[in-house]
Amino acid sequence: MRSASVNLAFDTRELASPLRMTFPAATKHVRVLERATLVRRRVVGREHLCRLSAAPLRDAMLWTEQFRQNWEARFEALDALLEEMKSEEQTRSRRR
Amino acid sequence: MNAKGLQISTPTDSTIVLTRAFNAPRRLVWEAMFTPDKMRRWMMPPPGWTMTVCECEARVGGALRVVWKSEDADPAMTLHGEFTEVVTHERIVHTETMVLGSGETIGRLVETHAFTEEGGVTTMRITQAYGLKEERDGAIASGMDQGMEACYQRFDAVLAQPA
Repeated sequence: MRSASVNLAFDTRELASPLRMTFPAATKHVRVLERATLVRRRVVGREHLCRLSAAPLRDAMLWTEQFRQNWEARFEALDALLEEMKSEEQTRSRRR
Repeated sequence: MNAKGLQISTPTDSTIVLTRAFNAPRRLVWEAMFTPDKMRRWMMPPPGWTMTVCECEARVGGALRVVWKSEDADPAMTLHGEFTEVVTHERIVHTETMVLGSGETIGRLVETHAFTEEGGVTTMRITQAYGLKEERDGAIASGMDQGMEACYQRFDAVLAQPA
């Protein structure tokens, strides 16, 4: 996550300009990202310089992946159980 | 053997939806989900945990109670609730409270299971509706690496972004 572009800082106005939103709306987005520690903001004169700090995204991805794996493991156990239940049922119906 | 991969979404701040398909008629999926001796097979606890109690009466007013112990605590966690709506093989709703061995409640939710069957394949949709976003996160955290709380908070902030 440490490419050259990551180290670039942009003014909030600069970030907002290509987007179809008002400047205050863009500021709101930046605040949310800041609270999430994904963006660091530094005020230099009239400029609010934003820098991406993407490392926490990796933690979030690891966490969601773990949540998914946990449930997938349960559902795989359920798959195996269902196969057993299906063959038990077939055996029973053949005996009849 | 997966008929269809697991899909997870968080449609609101306090809801998690899990959708998964199974190569079996819904009658059997239902039985596997709500019969204690079957539940023991798939309700996989975290490493080192063992299920000590598993009770499930899938009827309106029926109780749900599952207890696990760990090497350090007995009980390590208790899950208890009550069934509030039951349409056999189709839809079932129950409350659920998760309590740690210490007595701390880490999650309170209403869980809805909906089953649809097509060509012998059953799609199960689990909707977990938490009273609070914090409880949703607590539930997600339980049974997993608990040292990652900070990450959850950051992640919530990301999710809270206005669309």
